[in-house]
Amino acid sequence: MSELAARLDDVQARFAQAVAAADDERALDAVRVAYLGRSGEVTAVRRGIGQLPPAERPDAGKVINAVVERMEAALADATARLENRAFDAELAQSIDVTFPAIEPATGSIHPVRRVLQDAVAYFTRHGFATVLGMEIEPDYYTFDALNIPATHPAREGFDSFFISDSLLLRPHTSPMQIRTMQQHKPPIAVVAPGKCYRRDAVDARHLFQFHQIEGLLVAEGIHFGHLKGMLTGLCRELFGADQRVRFRPSFFPFTEPSAEVDTTCPKCKAQSAACGMCGGSGWIELGGAGMVHPNVLREVGYDTEIYTGWAFGFGIERLALTRYDIDDIRRFVDCDPDFLTQLA
Amino acid sequence: MRVPISWLREYVDLPDDAQHIADRLAMLGFPVEEIAARPVITGVVVGKIVAIEKHPNADRLQVCKVDIGADAPLRIATAATNVAAEQVIPVATIGAQLPHLKIEPRKMRGVESQGMMCSAEELALPAEWFEDGIMQLDPSTPLGANVVELFGLADAVLDVEVTSNRVDAMSVLGLARELSASYGVALRLPSFENPGRDADPPGHAPRVTIESTDCTRFVAQAFDGVRVTAAPAWMRVRLALTGQRPISNLVDVSNYVMLETAQPLHFYDAAQMRDRHLVVRDARPDETIVTLDEVERTLTPQALVVADGDRALGLAGLMGGASSEVRESTTAIVLESANFEGVRVRRMSMQLGLRSEASSRHEKTLAPALADIGAARAAQLLVQMGAHAYRPHAFGAELRTAAPIALAARDVERLLGLRLDATRIARHLEMLGCAVTVHGDALEVTPPAWRRDLAIAADLVEEVARMEGYDAIEPIEPAVPAHAIPSAQYELETQLAATLAGLGYREILSYSLQSPQVMTRVKRAGLTPSREPVEVRNPLSEDQRFLRWALGPGMLEYFARIDTPARVFEIGHVFSNENTVTEIPVLAFGFSVDPIDEPSWRDTNFLRLKGDCEALLRAVCGITVDATRDVRAGLHPGKTAVLMHDGREIANFGKMDPRVTRSFGVRLPVYLCNIFLEHVPEYRIPRYRPPSKFPSTYRDLALVVDLDVTADQVSRTTRRAIGELCLGVRAFDEYRGPQVGEGRKSLAIRATIGRFDATITDEEADAAIARAIDALRDETGATIRT
Ligand SMILES: [Zn+2]
Repeated sequence: MSELAARLDDVQARFAQAVAAADDERALDAVRVAYLGRSGEVTAVRRGIGQLPPAERPDAGKVINAVVERMEAALADATARLENRAFDAELAQSIDVTFPAIEPATGSIHPVRRVLQDAVAYFTRHGFATVLGMEIEPDYYTFDALNIPATHPAREGFDSFFISDSLLLRPHTSPMQIRTMQQHKPPIAVVAPGKCYRRDAVDARHLFQFHQIEGLLVAEGIHFGHLKGMLTGLCRELFGADQRVRFRPSFFPFTEPSAEVDTTCPKCKAQSAACGMCGGSGWIELGGAGMVHPNVLREVGYDTEIYTGWAFGFGIERLALTRYDIDDIRRFVDCDPDFLTQLA
Repeated sequence: MRVPISWLREYVDLPDDAQHIADRLAMLGFPVEEIAARPVITGVVVGKIVAIEKHPNADRLQVCKVDIGADAPLRIATAATNVAAEQVIPVATIGAQLPHLKIEPRKMRGVESQGMMCSAEELALPAEWFEDGIMQLDPSTPLGANVVELFGLADAVLDVEVTSNRVDAMSVLGLARELSASYGVALRLPSFENPGRDADPPGHAPRVTIESTDCTRFVAQAFDGVRVTAAPAWMRVRLALTGQRPISNLVDVSNYVMLETAQPLHFYDAAQMRDRHLVVRDARPDETIVTLDEVERTLTPQALVVADGDRALGLAGLMGGASSEVRESTTAIVLESANFEGVRVRRMSMQLGLRSEASSRHEKTLAPALADIGAARAAQLLVQMGAHAYRPHAFGAELRTAAPIALAARDVERLLGLRLDATRIARHLEMLGCAVTVHGDALEVTPPAWRRDLAIAADLVEEVARMEGYDAIEPIEPAVPAHAIPSAQYELETQLAATLAGLGYREILSYSLQSPQVMTRVKRAGLTPSREPVEVRNPLSEDQRFLRWALGPGMLEYFARIDTPARVFEIGHVFSNENTVTEIPVLAFGFSVDPIDEPSWRDTNFLRLKGDCEALLRAVCGITVDATRDVRAGLHPGKTAVLMHDGREIANFGKMDPRVTRSFGVRLPVYLCNIFLEHVPEYRIPRYRPPSKFPSTYRDLALVVDLDVTADQVSRTTRRAIGELCLGVRAFDEYRGPQVGEGRKSLAIRATIGRFDATITDEEADAAIARAIDALRDETGATIRT
């Protein structure tokens, strides 16, 4: 029995040294195998129990088990010690968090679409549907049905791109007024965004291709005050709650009364005579609007005694130029990566 | 149109502030482009040279005694050479402020000068439009009067924009009437009575024969005793302020009346006309005329001319001819104040590339009644200048009062949301010149003779709104009634754009109109375009000759321009001209990318593109569509796939044909996907299938097949052979090379096998995979690689 105890003491002493010397998980594992493994030292000691007198065997077993328990606890402690050392080392690291980020390959929506979507969202919230149309339209939809007579200068081919005698690239989104009213019975509440074309020379303010958003509300009891209400709300949605909106009389063959719609210059707040955005006027021109001309309603077979309505057409590029403070409209088609990144 | 505020003040009392007037005009529908302020000028009075003598010490100076209506005449030395006794001239007295000069007492070569006689330039008028030297005023001008007040030199000049429906307001009087109505103050109209009462001497009465329906009315009137000279100073100054160069009294009268009333006039030298007989007719083919600008023009019958018995004397409503132009020797004239159809004048003006102040008004079709008003005003001014007026002769249609328009106070409220009583509405319309009778809430409105734009009740409602001010209408958000108009197309575009942005693509915009060079580039690559392009008839430049037939070329131009790897998309319409013109909404997305070094039978970028395409369609349609190999113009013939659904092509995608890429100057390989928006199926809600509660297992197979056997074929065969135990088959590796042999390739697939009612056993899985191997061998000629 004492011999066994002596062997155990020796094993424990060497085990303690080995554990202390183990510098990583693998070394510790090797110690575990060498002492507690199937052919380890403790197993060898345990085999010696068989040579003891039977009366001593239970006690010897207990002693050995107690030793194994202590050794396992020591191993667990050592494992924890190693882990903490690793954590300490990692936590000791530090970096320069101001170093430039690695940019993800992000996508983006074109600023013109973004403004368009924001405008549409405002109308959607108020119960308007959104319809899209074609860019080549017959002159009936572009002019005749809109009360623009055959002798009107706009029809002479100086303002619009013609494909044939009667087909042209739409110079405005207004054909969608007619198409929508032909397809649906009143009430009508739609916006129609889309591309339009005019024979304008390209410069910092003009493109021969641009986007418009058309709006049309036809129902019983609709009046000019409702037009003012919706368009004022739209400008506030796009440019801020303190935005003022001005309606000036104007002339369009397909509306009567007609208006030009301006909003206060969001850049200078009408405070700078040298403002490049508004030319110092303090106002940005958004487009035309008005009460749908009775001839237009009659053309689609609506009863003008029952229904009234309003329509408007705004240039989306103009809204986007104003909103993002862009200096040159050509940037919308150049799509310089830096331009898209800045406005993403 | 440039309008001096001082001229407006002749007809209506206005506020002092030019900005206030400009704002009011804008709110009436006449935006003011510019307010040209006048420089400050003070202390300039009317004087008369009573004596003139040579300067004692200087040859080039003269000393004038100038009476300015004060006690003693002023002594003024001058270097001007156009001075003479009895002249009435502007005098800047001591202390006067001129634009660049303050007048102080000074000695000129020893002679004290008590002021300065002024040239037009010193009064801030264009020097080249007035006499050299000292400006000459009319002898009747009261001495001592303030020149600035007399000629309205202090007030700003407004540049007013007039919409095409309001040609009547392309006139000082028209704008004055608008302001009078808006401010609610009286309008001081000049007399519109024609002073010509005498019958023409026998055989001298002007006659007009109207042969064209494009001439509605023609007032002709003869004058004699005419002396051609400079117009009075007040008229020359007014014209100069509007930007109109003074020429001679006759020309100036015609311009003045046009600016005042909007009615253009023309004067013929009676001596140069045959029989005082004018004919309004179509020009004869190849008829020629030398116009006032001394250009000989060859006409076509589209031109409308005013002729005498022999030849065209002028282009109707556009410009007179040189042959009958008034000249210094002219003593008798015939006045033309006519009304023409606007379209005719505009087309003639376009065809000849010639515009004038007259045509800018005639092309908008004036009211016929203005012809009589214009003649009357001209006659008044000519008589003032000493001419003798005979009575006017009107030809063409009789003037008819417009039919009255029925308007109810309710109409105003219905369109404006503004409740006004009938008397208030009537007052607004009367201020604008309408004749109104009121019966309760109903009004009967006769528009004034000079307006052609008032025809229906809505037109009158706009007039009422302008007078109340659009600002008076309360903005209200409408309660939009329910309707069933779908927004599906827009929502699809929105969702596609959002998904692609999420997949890392940036949206770009490119021009729909393209130069023929795009086609040349495609052809240079040895290809023909996928669609026959639509040609624009009237492009502004060759860069706009064709409508794009695909989005790919625009994208290639973009990649060429930025020349670094990029991922972009565009949504837009493309156009083709097969029998009829068709328009197709398309989405294209793609990337230019650094090439990967990999075997020729593998293209990782293609698979990435395919992944993005599948992800996009899953997001917007909720389905996955199997790709099949195909060929499309512009795409690599061996690396192109299409997605078909219900027999329609949803999408095609692949690597772009390297010949095209190069032809467009793109250095990097490009991968492109076209999606045809009209073919994209509606979103189908996917149904959830819970996974089996029991563990599944899988088997990997290495097959060797012929090169033309596709991964899709192998997967389908496997799936079918395994049957309902099959939870999925996916090819995960491909290899070609010497170990596999010529014409063959190795494919690795993994089949996932399981049951929903029990744990699958190894025996079941092995049996299933054995069925698959048999089927693959029979149907695809596969051998199993071990
Ligand atoms: Zn501004």
